[in-house]
Amino acid sequence: MKLKNILKYLFIAVLAMQLASCDNKEDVDPIFDQTPTERLNAQKKELNDLLESSEFGWKAVYFTDTTQLGGFTHLFKFKSGSVDMASDFDNDTAIYKSEYGIELGSTVSLVFTTKNKIHLLSDSNNFPVASLRGKGYKGDFQFLYYGQDNGQIIFKTNRSFEELRFVKATAQDWTNLALNRAMIPNVVGASTRPLFRLLETNDGAKISQFDFNFTQPSRFAIANSIETGSSVSYNMGIAYTPTGIIVSPAVKVGTQKLSEFTYDATTGNFNATGTAGVTASIKYSNKPLVLTDDYKILIEGKGNPATAFAYIAANLATAPSNSLLCNTLLNQVNAQLSSTQKLSRVQFTFNNPAFGSYIEYRFNGGKTTIYHNVTVTEDPVNKTMILNHVSWENNLGAIIAEPTLLKNIDKELLDTKGLYVKRELFKIAFSNTIYTFTSASSNFRLTTYAFQ
Amino acid sequence: MKLKTQYKKIILFSAIVLLGACSGEEALKESQLDVSTPAMSTLDKWIETNYVNTYNIKVQYKWDQNVVDNNRFLYPPIQAQVQPALEIVQKIWLQSYSTIAGADFVKKIAPREFVLVGGRNLNTTGTITLGLAEGGQRITLFETDLVDKKNRDNVKRFVHTIQHEYIHILNQYKPFDEKTLSKITPTGYTSNWYATSTTVAREEGFITDYARSNINEDFAEMASTMLVNSKAEYDAILAGITSVKAKADIKAKEAVIVKYFKDAYNIDFYKLRDQAEKNTLAVING
Repeated sequence: MKLKNILKYLFIAVLAMQLASCDNKEDVDPIFDQTPTERLNAQKKELNDLLESSEFGWKAVYFTDTTQLGGFTHLFKFKSGSVDMASDFDNDTAIYKSEYGIELGSTVSLVFTTKNKIHLLSDSNNFPVASLRGKGYKGDFQFLYYGQDNGQIIFKTNRSFEELRFVKATAQDWTNLALNRAMIPNVVGASTRPLFRLLETNDGAKISQFDFNFTQPSRFAIANSIETGSSVSYNMGIAYTPTGIIVSPAVKVGTQKLSEFTYDATTGNFNATGTAGVTASIKYSNKPLVLTDDYKILIEGKGNPATAFAYIAANLATAPSNSLLCNTLLNQVNAQLSSTQKLSRVQFTFNNPAFGSYIEYRFNGGKTTIYHNVTVTEDPVNKTMILNHVSWENNLGAIIAEPTLLKNIDKELLDTKGLYVKRELFKIAFSNTIYTFTSASSNFRLTTYAFQ
Repeated sequence: MKLKTQYKKIILFSAIVLLGACSGEEALKESQLDVSTPAMSTLDKWIETNYVNTYNIKVQYKWDQNVVDNNRFLYPPIQAQVQPALEIVQKIWLQSYSTIAGADFVKKIAPREFVLVGGRNLNTTGTITLGLAEGGQRITLFETDLVDKKNRDNVKRFVHTIQHEYIHILNQYKPFDEKTLSKITPTGYTSNWYATSTTVAREEGFITDYARSNINEDFAEMASTMLVNSKAEYDAILAGITSVKAKADIKAKEAVIVKYFKDAYNIDFYKLRDQAEKNTLAVING
């Protein structure tokens, strides 16, 4: 075909298209009776009216990243472009005023345009744990509007699309906000309470236990199953309430999800109850969650080799694994000594071929060593080692009466229920293995170096 | 009729058909978008008078996600801190240039927009970004909340940012003598500048640690450091350097800067420095 003809056909084709181009489609019913702009404007107005509608404003428990951070409760009261806000981010739970805007981006969004409490979550220079350097608490302060559900406003955060619900606040929410802060020490755990912490779930038939560890700065807890072979773990962000905590993600027990825990001041436990006997509790235990056989090599009469373990004050006085009671008793001994003397060492010797087993209390500042001779038996059921009194001895080998100085601390070591012995995985200052000795009936735990 | 003419006619015809094809009959209505002017606060009015009308510079202190890096965790300034911060910038930066270089100087070469951010812009490496100049049009100033007018070091730190960024803008307008500057300390530049302190950098012939990052930053840091320090303070910095070569290198860089301001803008850099110092004192004692 010649070029001329090609062009001709092309023109005809173009002309034909033009004739068909103005097909009238107006008789087709439009899906919406308003234009997109009208609908967006209506949505902006709807959101603003909604925000201003609640008498006592709104409450939002904002979990910024439930894989590593907890929740922060915020209260808002909106009024024509300005917002009154309070939060439990820090101890300052007072109300502050700032501005907000309803903006149009990918969708209609609420943005807090000038500084207020919510911006504390988005400060690159203030981060709870080292891994979040430059990221603060990963907070957002622009929220995309996704409609309403049961009187709640559904937002998604601008950066990470986390769902955030605004719930109607009550007058009480505002007055009680400071109580959220008062709940923190209960979650951290009092040093007067037992030493071991666990999450216990009951699905109505089976009870499962999880080792519970809470990091206060990030408001995040890790709970790993103690059952051998189980890799189940509940890692959760925690938000404080006046009566307890809210966790996210929720603890899933059977098919039920439990997220609201109530604090019980008597036991120090946090309890959540579902239906049909399903419960979850964060509680304390006097007994280690996992009992080890580490005590076995210390028992007498089983052909065990000679071993020694020592608490050395110079290096272990600040060990975090010493319990409060242990530190109190150690200080009590020092307080009874003259200002130049100190308890320098508490050393256990087991199965020495010549002298058997004994506890050795050493001092510096010229005070001589005191020995407490013992026998070592076991409680195989509770997996403890029990030290039984034989005699007290001075550095010259003479038998002496029980020294008043050591009475209290020694009583813990000779607890009748025995001591839990644990070979720890961490090290302190030296390459020596760390062993802890924990009383089976009190909050006493002493940290020692193993000498073998 | 020739084919060409025929085509012309066809094109003309189809153009008419096209133009007339889809004419609507409904009259245009008012915009559905909200075009009303938002109510201005006292702060907004102050900005309007002192920045928009005087220097044609827009100031943005309310949060707008489109002008700030969304990957950073930043937040808008406390409203009460905005005016004090802007007054410092106005007095020490804008008015110093106006006095020495002429009233129109900053009006012609200036960023068209300031964005104020409340907190620190901490990077995951641990360094802190103090300011940004994007395409010479927009300067972002961080740490607005931390500004304290009565504290000289604090004011210097804040003003350093704007002086530094403005040097970049001047450089974009007229380039500096890169050849001479790059020959002074050719081997000292490193992208890992934050690994060593300013004290170490000075012994190698750089006025600050950041000056080591590349010659553009070296120029900007050199000039801005001179502008935020008084003559006495600058001399004290030089006196504190042990290495004779480093001191000579910094003096050589100083000469490049002084020459640049003279040649490119006919500004006596030392006079500008003294004026900035005078205004700094006025702010602190004001």
